[in-house]
Amino acid sequence: MSNRLRTSRVRVVAAVAGAALVAALAVVGTAGARSGASCGTVTLNEQAWAGSTANTYVAKYVLEKFLGCKVKVTQITEIPVFEAMAKGRVDAVLEDWNHVDQYKQYVQKQKSVVLVRSNGLIGHIGWFIPRYLLEQYPQFKTWKGLKGKESVFKSPESGSQGMFLGGDPSYVQKDKQLIQLLGLNFKHVTVGAEPAEVARFTQLIKQHKPVIFYWWTPQYLNAQLDLVEVKLPARFDGCADDASAGGDLAKYKCAYAADPLNKLFSRKFATSGSPAFPVLKRWKWSNDDQNLVAKWIAGDHMKPDKAAEKWVKANMAKVNVWLGK
Amino acid sequence: MTAATEYAPTAVRLEHRPWWRSRLTLSAAIVAAMVVCYLALDRDLSWPASLEWSALTRHLDDFQVWLSDQSNADHPNLIVRILNGISSGLDTLVGWLYDALTGLTWVGATALGTLVALRFGGLRAGTIMLGSFAVFGAMGLWEESMQTLSLMLAAVALSLALGMPLGVLAGRSDRFNSFVTPVLDAMQIVPAFAYLMPVVILFSVGPGAAVITTMIYAIPPAVRITALGIRGVAANTVEAAAALGSTRRQLLTKVQLPLARRMLLLSVNQTILFALSMVVIAGLIGGSGLGDAVTNGLYSNPALAVLAGAAIVVMAIALDRVTEAIANRTDPAQQHLDPTGRRWARLATLAATAGVGLAAGLGRALGAGDLYTRWTAQDWLLARVQSALDYIQDPATFLFRNVTNPIGNFLVQHMLQPLDTFLVETPWFVTFAGLVAIAFVLSGLRPALTTAAMLAVVGVVGEWQPAMDTFSQVLVATGIAVALGLALGVLAAESRAVSRVLRPVNDVLQTLPQLVYVIPFIYLFPVSFVPGLVASVLYAFPVVARLVERGVRDVAPHSVEAAAAFGATRSQVLLRVKIPLARDAIMLGINQGLIMVLAVVVIAGLVGSGALGYEVAQGLQRNEFGLGVVASLAILALGIALDRVTQGNRKRRRDV
Repeated sequence: MSNRLRTSRVRVVAAVAGAALVAALAVVGTAGARSGASCGTVTLNEQAWAGSTANTYVAKYVLEKFLGCKVKVTQITEIPVFEAMAKGRVDAVLEDWNHVDQYKQYVQKQKSVVLVRSNGLIGHIGWFIPRYLLEQYPQFKTWKGLKGKESVFKSPESGSQGMFLGGDPSYVQKDKQLIQLLGLNFKHVTVGAEPAEVARFTQLIKQHKPVIFYWWTPQYLNAQLDLVEVKLPARFDGCADDASAGGDLAKYKCAYAADPLNKLFSRKFATSGSPAFPVLKRWKWSNDDQNLVAKWIAGDHMKPDKAAEKWVKANMAKVNVWLGK
Repeated sequence: MTAATEYAPTAVRLEHRPWWRSRLTLSAAIVAAMVVCYLALDRDLSWPASLEWSALTRHLDDFQVWLSDQSNADHPNLIVRILNGISSGLDTLVGWLYDALTGLTWVGATALGTLVALRFGGLRAGTIMLGSFAVFGAMGLWEESMQTLSLMLAAVALSLALGMPLGVLAGRSDRFNSFVTPVLDAMQIVPAFAYLMPVVILFSVGPGAAVITTMIYAIPPAVRITALGIRGVAANTVEAAAALGSTRRQLLTKVQLPLARRMLLLSVNQTILFALSMVVIAGLIGGSGLGDAVTNGLYSNPALAVLAGAAIVVMAIALDRVTEAIANRTDPAQQHLDPTGRRWARLATLAATAGVGLAAGLGRALGAGDLYTRWTAQDWLLARVQSALDYIQDPATFLFRNVTNPIGNFLVQHMLQPLDTFLVETPWFVTFAGLVAIAFVLSGLRPALTTAAMLAVVGVVGEWQPAMDTFSQVLVATGIAVALGLALGVLAAESRAVSRVLRPVNDVLQTLPQLVYVIPFIYLFPVSFVPGLVASVLYAFPVVARLVERGVRDVAPHSVEAAAAFGATRSQVLLRVKIPLARDAIMLGINQGLIMVLAVVVIAGLVGSGALGYEVAQGLQRNEFGLGVVASLAILALGIALDRVTQGNRKRRRDV
């Protein structure tokens, strides 16, 4: 290779690098000019389920429209997001399903995350069946009626036992323990992540076949699929839901709690004096509100921003409360 | 004893073995003995609890809590601050790349990609690049694609910057090579889900953490193929250069690196593909871009997930073909530029640079916008994909009622469940002894000892039963993948047409995120293990087919000619000459097929295969770090054990 060729390459590289630098500087310059509002940038985390998308985009619309904030939406899974809030990378999570272990670690011990109880939503996990099953087996309304009839739910992988479709590994659950404690002849089949579970039971429901599965409210699909909850033993003092905590088996022998869901904020954000914080702190809506917006997004494939706008315009009274007006 | 000396005598001995002493017969006899034990002995003799180290999980959990407390303390220590610096540096780097891409406007970005490909890769490469940008725009996924592209550029560049020097080192030093190989194995087999949480604690979330996660998976091919290339330089060339008085440094820069050029470029190419297969995982910790579109689409808009998956495939194939074209065109061995040629080349470079500048300037002046947001075919495409999904999800169709559903049920009832019951319920010591014996028969003493050690690890960490569960599914998936891969590989070796069709199919199957197609498979095969099984088969068979094709095609032509001269028909040549002579490549295919199947264990666990994969996923998503690590260890140990069992007595090779 001749020296001339080499120097010409160097020149080209230098030219390209120079051009890139100029372009980068130009961009940085314009970006700096853009964010002028007092609110600055707020980072909300959207979780994978449709209800969370509804929360996030309604809050985003309100912050952008009424406070002039710039809202960034991140999509980080449930547990790592605590770490992200602790480091101030994410400002707020609007729906958290009582991750008690994380509350101990991040809220109480590290004090890096601020917990605000209740976002107005009531989360409840349970065992669900499609309503059409009750025509033939009205006794399935409670767990006692399932006893002896488990084989109705049998499937190729459960053999002679009934099949119980278990929940997403990331969700609070104690179904294996419940099945054992209640003496039911079910095989707990782990279908995997939420979309996988939805795929399994909707396929069976479309065929009008029997199916029993781990499910919860609020969930926009419930209205569409017409599901009924099977009544489990009543709750008692000290009764627990998260079987991964281990311990005495007997404490799991009860229905899942109906828990208000929580909001979480990064401590950095909560103490920053951002005008967005008090608004998000007051932010609150009901299961029905969320189901409606979630259905627009996931059921009708409406763009989340559009769905949020539609809801906000129709519910200004609620929004004004959040805004403190 | 080295692998090479072990190889030759065994191969000779094999020719004289009577059929009842052949390795296959012996293995079958061992399996038969295991079945007898299974039938005769007590059931449910699982690994004894007294041999388990049950505190391990708790120690690991404590470690994670400690790590998090350290990193979120009010006054973090020096190491934490250094790590924070690294991650924010990486964030800035990815941010710069993204800003540069958007700063050029979409016109300029397209011009940059196309003209660089055109200048260095030729017309075909340029067209491919232009086409891929057009696809991103038409899909309405421009912003996501640019985010993913900037993430990938950073991750690939850093992986190569770290991996290639390590590869050179591994290529020149046997000691370093034997030290680094197991580390690379672990980086590739341990599922990303297991180390996502520590990565997040140390490097927070965002592009920086996503780059690091991607690098963990993309560095191994860079190191391995570079080392392979350096080692592949003929020893006599190196000796000749040394005899002429070259220093070690001159040897490297003037002899070894130039001669290993093609392998170095292959390592660039493979690093790109491996990095792109991490897009979805990176999305889970703030990588944003196409990965997010896939994950979120799964919950609220599956058609969009399919579209985003397709965009990832387009990006992978475009980068693959363009780097390949650049590698071929810029090969100095094929290109002797005279002064006019050089002048032309320089002019072309200038023209390309000017073209990019002009396009960017025009884009800015005409207000083309940073991101392409104009006309897209997204809605139309989504509607098409949705109608295909609706068809797949309709249980009343012929396809479901008469094809997929019965096949799924058959697989579960007659293959997976019996095998699962057999492996899980056979007393542990029988399975243990049986597998070690098979390893001994098939591969020799050392592999058998490694197998024993690895199975012991599986038991000690307390994962014996889920591991056997996973093992049964891995066996069935590998069986199907190998059968399919063998058939297609042999066909492709015999027919150019098949080979030409197979290549893009293989590329798509290797880069399309499994999460995209695995959900539709749940609708088609609604039985828990089967969707995971299908995903594993689809991921593994292309590798088997590729290796078998290469093996059969590379059979020395004189053997084939000799057989043909004796009047052998084409099928005789194939069955009696080519396939037996390609045995090594076929064994390697089986071996690699197994490893690929193991790589899908976590995804399979997420769609109903349960066992180890589910535990790994649970480890991340329920913050049971210890459980996730322990299950990953079991997957790694199972992987190494199976690798050794099927290694055969071929010379150990490290093809990627």
